[in-house]
Amino acid sequence: MKFFKRMSLVAVTSLMVASSILGTASAASDKVSGKITVNGSTALLPLTLQAAKEFQKINPKVRIAASGKGSVTGPQAVKKGIADIGACDWDASIDVPGFKAFDGQVANKVAVIPFATVTNKNVSVNNLSTDQLKGIFSGKITNWKEVGGDNADIVVITRAFGSGTRVNYQAKALAGGDITKKEKNYKEVGSSGDMKTAVATTPNSIGYIDLVYVNSDLKAINFNGVAPTTNNVINGSYKIWAYGYFMTKGQPTGATKAFIDYIQSSKFQQGSLKKLKFIPVSAMK
Amino acid sequence: MNTPVQQIVPEDRALRKPSNKFKFTRSVRVRLTNRLFKYYFLFSILALCFVLGLVIFFIGKTAFLTFGHISLSEFFLSFNWNPEEEHFGAAAFIINTISLTLLTLVMAVPISVGMAVLIAEIAPKWFKNLIRPVLDLLVGIPSIVYGYIGLTVLIPFLRKVSGENLGDGILAAALVLALMVLPTISRISDEAIVSVPKKYREAAYAMGSTRLQVIMRVILPAAGRGIIAAIIMGMTRAIGETMAVVMVIGNTAQLAKSFFSPTSVLTSNIVMQISNVEFDSTWNYALHMMAFLLLVISFILILFIRFLGRKGRNT
Repeated sequence: MKFFKRMSLVAVTSLMVASSILGTASAASDKVSGKITVNGSTALLPLTLQAAKEFQKINPKVRIAASGKGSVTGPQAVKKGIADIGACDWDASIDVPGFKAFDGQVANKVAVIPFATVTNKNVSVNNLSTDQLKGIFSGKITNWKEVGGDNADIVVITRAFGSGTRVNYQAKALAGGDITKKEKNYKEVGSSGDMKTAVATTPNSIGYIDLVYVNSDLKAINFNGVAPTTNNVINGSYKIWAYGYFMTKGQPTGATKAFIDYIQSSKFQQGSLKKLKFIPVSAMK
Repeated sequence: MNTPVQQIVPEDRALRKPSNKFKFTRSVRVRLTNRLFKYYFLFSILALCFVLGLVIFFIGKTAFLTFGHISLSEFFLSFNWNPEEEHFGAAAFIINTISLTLLTLVMAVPISVGMAVLIAEIAPKWFKNLIRPVLDLLVGIPSIVYGYIGLTVLIPFLRKVSGENLGDGILAAALVLALMVLPTISRISDEAIVSVPKKYREAAYAMGSTRLQVIMRVILPAAGRGIIAAIIMGMTRAIGETMAVVMVIGNTAQLAKSFFSPTSVLTSNIVMQISNVEFDSTWNYALHMMAFLLLVISFILILFIRFLGRKGRNT
């Protein structure tokens, strides 16, 4: 009886994986076992933990250990052989501003992460263009009235260099533009949580953050006339978003492959992943 | 090393009837426990020394790799910290750390020594009994709590008073740190003042001194070493403090040119950047070098306190 139960479970799993929208080959057909270590981005950590919980329920022989630090530690740990999967907010197999490509690593897309430009609630500006944002973050525009707001200094709040959010924001919202440090009205914060607190409590401030963090304490700004919403990301009109990646050394194999397949499966993408406010990879065309 | 218990042992043995059979008697028990505890204590202290040695070894090992990539003079003399462009000048952090500590002490020392004098010399007994536990409690408050108060209460207040937009900077950090080291300095100074022999005071009063004269000319000079040790204890806390500072200093790698320019010190820079850094990079080594520098500074300060204490005992 037990045997049949397990067999049907395996059958269901393999069916789910096979029917995943990306069309990845079925891998979980055999009993999967082993230990998977995931290191890297804190932004992707909730996703990894949720997936690990569900995956271990289906494959009790797999042990998954996940921890979050900075994005770059993901591919680093994979390179050193400490981790099987390196969660990273950018594609670490190619060069990005500030970080060189990690040779021989394969980037597996697992989710879409939207980002938003946010300001303190006292700011009257509702929309900023790429050029205006470039001007603000490079320090050329220093007063809100230059972009159609009140006469007040702009307080720039940014993530420290090396943050995945910063890498993506610079690439997508600033079109590769710089974020320049200033003597005044400039501050760096260490995490998305700090960013939220800092922007919410500092009048006339501007910053950027994962869309999932935006709530009524912050004001999300339209980008080139488009509101930062999940729907606008999916229909392609809102451009500040990035894929979250699971980096592996070469093509993933064994339990690692099964785990990544599970995360990419439509059941997980349409279910838990959406509940965590990420956007399914398949939604992007 | 000879404890009284060990001296008792032979007498105890003489009192007993000689017996060939091994018995778990009191003397055996005492000797056994004595020995066990001796080894246990030895083990404890060795374990601690071992860990300390490991910390120094591993931090130092990584730290000195820095100088394989950049020169000693660039690290210590350059103000240009731009990891994205391979510039690792830590001079700004070192100077900021020193100026932040000095600013903190300038604010904290007069107040805390004043408090110590009040508690030790002037206040009535019920007040002493109330305020000493309160200060002990303040020492134990986690630094993140002070940082949070700084972020939610102090920064908005500074913004209102100064008209600045941000309020973050070396002044905010120094105020938070001053609040943190205040109880440390005043409690240790308090003890130093209390331990000044009573005869000094009596002699001074007998010569016709006023209370102020006794405090300023007799007690404070007599307790001077203890108070300096207290100040250094406060200093080590201020230099090593991280979380509270990170929350209010603005975390920007540049020299603090005014009270309100966002800046960064050694500790806050390490904690901000260490999670985004690649293992085998000069950047990582440079951060370890900064940690090693903090270790060295606190060792020097502790050695200085020991030196002070020894000199005080000799005179």
